[in-house]
Amino acid sequence: MQIQESLIALLVLGPLVFGLMMLTGIKGILRNAVVALAGLVTIGAGVALPFYSGATAPDVGLPALITTAGNWIEPLVILTVLAIGFSIRSWPVRIMALIQLGLCGAGLIMARHESVEETKLVVDSLAMIMVLIVSVIGSLIALYGIGYMNVHEHHAPPTAASNNRFFFVLISFLGLMNGLVLVDNMKWLSIFWEGTTLCSFFLIGHDGTTEAKASARRAITINVFGGLAMSLGVFLAAHTAGSESLSVVLTKGPLILLPLGLFTLATMTKSAQLPFQSWLLGAMVAPTPVSALLHSSTMVKAGSYLILRLAPSLQGTPLAPIIAIAGAFTFVVTSALAVGQSNGKKVLAYSTIANLGLIACCAGIGTPLAYAAGVTILIYHAVSKALLFLCVGTIEQTIGSRDIEDMGGLLFKMPLTTNVAMIGMASMMMPPFGMLVGKWMAIEAAVRNPVVLILLVLGSALTIFFWAKWLGRITTTSYHETYTIETVSPWMLSVLALIGTGVVAISVCATLIYAKVIKVISLATFGMDTCPGNISILDSVHSFLGWPMYVVFGTIVLALLAGVLLFKPSQIRLPFLCGENLDLDDHSFTFRGIADTPTSAALTSYYLPLFEESKITSWGNPLAALIILSLFGVLFI
Amino acid sequence: MTVVPKFNKSPWVVHFNCNSCNGCDIEFLACLTPLYDLERFGILHVGNPKHADVLVVTGSVNHRNARVLKNVYDQMPDPKVVVAMGVCASTGGIFADGYNVLGGVDKVIPVDVFVPGCPARPEAMIDGVLKGAQVLQAKHSGKTPLAEKHVLTRTPTPVDAPAVLEKGASHA
Amino acid sequence: MTIPTTPLTLVLAILVAPFFGALLSGIDRRITARAQGRMGPPILQPVYDTIKLLRKEPILLNRMQIVYAYLHLLFMIMAFLMLVFGKDSLMFLFVFAFSTLALVLGGMCVRSPYSRIGSQREIMLMVAYEPILILIMIGFYMVNNHSFLLSAPLSAARPMLISLPLLFVAFLVVLAIKLHKSPFDIATSHHAHQEIVKGITIEYSGPHLAILEIAHFYEMALLFCLIVLFWASPIWIGLLLASASFFLMTVVDNAFARLTKMWIFKFMWTSVLLLAMTNVILLYWVSK
Repeated sequence: MQIQESLIALLVLGPLVFGLMMLTGIKGILRNAVVALAGLVTIGAGVALPFYSGATAPDVGLPALITTAGNWIEPLVILTVLAIGFSIRSWPVRIMALIQLGLCGAGLIMARHESVEETKLVVDSLAMIMVLIVSVIGSLIALYGIGYMNVHEHHAPPTAASNNRFFFVLISFLGLMNGLVLVDNMKWLSIFWEGTTLCSFFLIGHDGTTEAKASARRAITINVFGGLAMSLGVFLAAHTAGSESLSVVLTKGPLILLPLGLFTLATMTKSAQLPFQSWLLGAMVAPTPVSALLHSSTMVKAGSYLILRLAPSLQGTPLAPIIAIAGAFTFVVTSALAVGQSNGKKVLAYSTIANLGLIACCAGIGTPLAYAAGVTILIYHAVSKALLFLCVGTIEQTIGSRDIEDMGGLLFKMPLTTNVAMIGMASMMMPPFGMLVGKWMAIEAAVRNPVVLILLVLGSALTIFFWAKWLGRITTTSYHETYTIETVSPWMLSVLALIGTGVVAISVCATLIYAKVIKVISLATFGMDTCPGNISILDSVHSFLGWPMYVVFGTIVLALLAGVLLFKPSQIRLPFLCGENLDLDDHSFTFRGIADTPTSAALTSYYLPLFEESKITSWGNPLAALIILSLFGVLFI
Repeated sequence: MTVVPKFNKSPWVVHFNCNSCNGCDIEFLACLTPLYDLERFGILHVGNPKHADVLVVTGSVNHRNARVLKNVYDQMPDPKVVVAMGVCASTGGIFADGYNVLGGVDKVIPVDVFVPGCPARPEAMIDGVLKGAQVLQAKHSGKTPLAEKHVLTRTPTPVDAPAVLEKGASHA
Repeated sequence: MTIPTTPLTLVLAILVAPFFGALLSGIDRRITARAQGRMGPPILQPVYDTIKLLRKEPILLNRMQIVYAYLHLLFMIMAFLMLVFGKDSLMFLFVFAFSTLALVLGGMCVRSPYSRIGSQREIMLMVAYEPILILIMIGFYMVNNHSFLLSAPLSAARPMLISLPLLFVAFLVVLAIKLHKSPFDIATSHHAHQEIVKGITIEYSGPHLAILEIAHFYEMALLFCLIVLFWASPIWIGLLLASASFFLMTVVDNAFARLTKMWIFKFMWTSVLLLAMTNVILLYWVSK
């Protein structure tokens, strides 16, 4: 187990050390090399961890010194938040930080008499999956960042912070996330929790523009609110259960309902569930690697991870059905919001929130199948969404727009990026990619609860709408094939190609992943003694993932082959424009108008007024808030 | 005799009004009515050249619409057949001497069937389309169709139009 | 009663379904003609049409069109086979939906205004009917002892139509949309002229159009089989029911004018969805 411990140390502390090297002010190739090294080391450690972890003893003990250190680091972190509260002149942040400080002090005083507990790390399958996502996807995003930030540096506003600080925060973020995922001690959990909040604050505010500052401010306000809920939950739980270990606390069942509710609230702010979604939407102003990181492997996934951890304890409590409804509600409302958006990053953001809602919903339903669905979505969403954000970032850097309507004809201008983006979009909605399998399992798991079911059904229809619009726009091409080679940094292109391949690979290996990981996690969480019906459902999922899935893949390959083999350039004819075609190569449909002047007809996709952002949020946010309030309401009934 | 049904069993028609006085058009649309019922021969009136086998043209060709006619013709997949419906489409009719008129459809694209009449009677039109279907069958099986005229008699260019217009003005 | 999963059934299903669909389509055209006092084309006219299209020159705008046409057909065949072999109903729906989606994307990938408008409208239609289809599958699940398998209705003790009358009505509306019948034929139409010409299929021609036609025949066979499931034993009642439903579609097609996209969307997400939800919630209530 010696190797396992050093790997974990490498995963948590390694990024911090590499990050600190950034602060020495290294420049140019040296900086790139250090970032690349940090990324590769983290990937290596993350991939190696499962091989060196025993299946029988998932816990790793840590010296008592670390627990004690936690007592001192927590106030330090909160003081940092307080300092930020002062520097951005935000009263809510200051007040919430002060309350947290108070809670922290009270906790210390009350815990004085008790003996120091051993802090341990939980290295079970779920944690390892998360570590893999964080270290592999997160590091790849950092590698992409090398190429992206070099370009970004040139046209970034003068207010932007240095790239060294950027990479320091970006890389340390990975270490903090790994820590958050692995640690069992609640004090450390809230340290890491606040740590990720701080990181996201610095990353969102990187460009230093008014917009970036406002977004960073919103992000920290909402997340400190979540952090406050977390601290309060930790304080109450430790007080009630007499232990600081999360795994011990979670066994206490009905005793810790209020802390559970508070934890849930914290996860909802972190994973930007309605009505807390605004911070994640604001985070788009940051450079692309940041959005990719926040949306896929870190930050929001911390919320999803914690709610999945809580899921078994939530079962049977009055909280569970409300969480399921809140998640499903977020899913349908944000899907509707995504329909009305033409800003590519906003569509991605809403889709992220929708999928996180789905995970929360699965955690609320809490059957083994639902749990498996939640884990499936967690895994596949991380990979696909990281890919899509990086693609949109690359496209934006090249064409200077993130508007979906400007993305027509990209297939010839940026062949690789567009193809990879198409894979990413297909993987979000198309059989047999993992996301659809997850959604399918989620709907099958939701049949017990008609309200949740109907929300999921409506949401999944809307999901198709916005992806189809985008995919349709991005595949639109003119008739003459003139491919150009992209002038994009090799760092970015290789990462795109790598993750693109990864998306296909993990979907092809879905059978293996399901049998070896997802099913195992689900059964381990709920115990083998769950009713046999549940296991048979899990097996029936397995039976689909076998040969029928390969048939679907074969079909897609066949169709692609048809496109390659059956196409002859001589067969190209102009589109039907009532005979008045003009063969110009631009985005629009050009025809001869009055006096033979070229006239363009522009045709945008449907962004129906029914799905306008302001309209939907005006009733969506209050309703979501009401659902969350009822979460606490039921505790007092 | 082959098992595969003949190619002429479903001639799909696209109707192009070139410069017509609408007499032939109305008669052609009358063919769709229950009295004449084009569909019993498998003839479908599709709205666009990409789906069509038979291009039915009514009216004479002028400088303005020649290239449109050519464009629509080009957008039809092979094998394809052109039926010139009525006198105007066949020769230019009473408009043949107009300053802007090029003449019949065959000035721009190869015509396979000419249907006379001003306007042509629906019976004649149905007969014309069915004759066209036979040509279609012949073209599909590689035989020489009734009319072989692949070379354009006149290539229309947009530049022509103003020149012709000026000439017309000087006449007046 | 179950359908054996043998290579023979597989081949039979793949071969027979398009002819069956073509026959249904031919009968539809014939009935329409007779209703209008015309003679109408031969019953096998759709077959002639398709074979003719297959033998025409393939012309197209870009490579993606071919890919999407084949995806449409292959996924439709796959959905049909999943239905025949009684696989998981939700996965069947997803495969079926993706097939339609491939058609939509095929219409979108070309720079043609008519085609794009048709595609946009088709997605609106998909969003409008997709929840209803899923709710119908949930209804199947509730009635068939909590089994998502499509083979379950075949061995059901009593016909599902008795438990799912409202869902059946909702399904008829979906059927009208899927068959591109008035008043829902805004994306593409069987009839000659409409404001967007042939809409979604306009830029396909020759063999590629034939592929779409064949896929549509499979789709018709698939929808026909879905109706049969509502009264699976004795199966002849199911067949009668399905035939009657298709006849109804022809009548409706000839009796209605076209609606606008938002009207359809709102109609589906209010009236029809309510109808379907009422049935599903009643089932929950009964099962408790």
